[in-house]
Amino acid sequence: MGVAGLVVYLLLLCGITFVAARARQSNEPSDHFLAGRSLGVFVLFLTLYATAYSGNSLLGYPGEAYRRGFSWIMATGFMMSIIVVFHALVPKLRPIAVREDFVTPGDWVRFRFGSEPAARALLIAVAVLMSLALANFLFAQLKAMGEMAEQVTGGLVSYEIGVAVLAAMILFYETLGGMRAVAWTDAFQGILMLVGLAALLGWLLGEAGGLQAMTTGILEVRPHAADVPDRAELTNWFSTIVLLGLASVVYPQAIQRVYAARSGTVLKRSFALMTFMPLTTTLVVTLIGLAAIGRLEGLGTLEADHVMPLLLGHWASAGTGAAVAALVVFLGALAAIMSTADSVLLSLGSIAAEDLVGGSHHDPEATRLGKRIAAASIVAMAGLAMAARDITLWGLIELKMELLIQCAPAFLIAIHWPGLRARPTFVGLVVGTIVAAGGVFLDAKRIGGIHIGVIGLMLNVLIAWAGSLAARPGRQSRSAPA
Amino acid sequence: MPDRAATPPAGRRSTANGVRRVLLAAIGVLFVISIPWYRGGVEPSIWFGLPDWVVVALACYVAVALLNSIAWLLTEVSDGDDEPPGSAR
Repeated sequence: MGVAGLVVYLLLLCGITFVAARARQSNEPSDHFLAGRSLGVFVLFLTLYATAYSGNSLLGYPGEAYRRGFSWIMATGFMMSIIVVFHALVPKLRPIAVREDFVTPGDWVRFRFGSEPAARALLIAVAVLMSLALANFLFAQLKAMGEMAEQVTGGLVSYEIGVAVLAAMILFYETLGGMRAVAWTDAFQGILMLVGLAALLGWLLGEAGGLQAMTTGILEVRPHAADVPDRAELTNWFSTIVLLGLASVVYPQAIQRVYAARSGTVLKRSFALMTFMPLTTTLVVTLIGLAAIGRLEGLGTLEADHVMPLLLGHWASAGTGAAVAALVVFLGALAAIMSTADSVLLSLGSIAAEDLVGGSHHDPEATRLGKRIAAASIVAMAGLAMAARDITLWGLIELKMELLIQCAPAFLIAIHWPGLRARPTFVGLVVGTIVAAGGVFLDAKRIGGIHIGVIGLMLNVLIAWAGSLAARPGRQSRSAPA
Repeated sequence: MPDRAATPPAGRRSTANGVRRVLLAAIGVLFVISIPWYRGGVEPSIWFGLPDWVVVALACYVAVALLNSIAWLLTEVSDGDDEPPGSAR
């Protein structure tokens, strides 16, 4: 049944892709990478949703809830903080993006810092950091796709074949239909995710005995699980809200959806809906991870990432109805993963083709180059996902965020403070990145519960702010237009 | 297509902006109190099947979702005429 479900799902994606490809209006990058800025509330909301909730959310978060217990309720908070922090970016960025015909996040940096000394270096640094974060993100999605394919087919499709086939599928619809195909398949996948999560919540509150039974089960195997977390964990809770909130608003794929909306009204309505999704998604998968504590005690660090498929496997064995419901959840999780991977791939191709190589918005050659780079990236990341299966998904999320958050001043501060200059922003970004990457590689990921990336960001902001103030007298001619 | 018809008059815009700022400040407070800093050493009790501090955190996040949704609906996101800050062009 799992294989049949997977085949039907992939055939539906193919059908949507062909319809999206026929709706294409030109070969220009703005049509391929932004769907000609035509996304309405329904599709924009679902593509934002399906893109924001990924393999990390569907597999990594239950795993982390299993490892950390009740304190992982913080995940609902930090996913919500993302939609709050967007208030600082979207109302100012959107009108400029429409007027100046932005396609990539780097277009903002190019526009804002213009011909200042170090503007080009800042643009390249932002593009490199974003590309690294996207490559990491793509790797995590491919890894999660392989795991899900193996689980959904009961091992008939191996992890490696799953990675290869699903990666090829994503490349197919991204290349053929661009953002339009990605957004439309995301909408379908978002609906599938919501149906799957509703079924999962129904199981948790019904057949699994509800929240009381879940907590009783947890306390039997971990008697102190209900205790208030210690000071370091509470500080980490706060730090994670800051890390995810600030880093996620500079997700390239999110910024490009801000550009791709049909109008500002469509955009704000989509965000108004998005703010509820942590309650319907993150909270549900957190509860699933918690429910697994009483049922699957003794899993190792890496095995914990499998709690969702393991619980679904138990559920599926209860009868035909449960097996069908579990299959829907499996496919919903797979949909979440693929919809994030396709968006990441599209962003990676556009950033590499335009910000790093320097292609033009109106040149179809930039679109072709973006597609070739996307193909090379997914082949490389698929190979890596097959070779390096033994990395926890949450570990990958943290690494990505520690790097990405260093781009935040070039967007969030630059859009509000006319005095910010390119050179100190670039120096701050480099110093923040060295601190964050150094901490991660030296295994000093937190200091007193605070993420090393957040500490790097503090230094980054301090340098950008102090350096811009110091540069002020000589930069009068570059201040804001009257 | 730019949605200029949705732009409210200046007076209403300023009130909406004020309300939006208050909502965002309240959201900040809710994020801080969602973290059980205030519970040192107190034995937790179970509410609705969950530890009480988890229920408080969830209640804060439900409130954040409601306030943030209203804040977004009050936000003006225009489609093209605003002057950018510090643009070098």
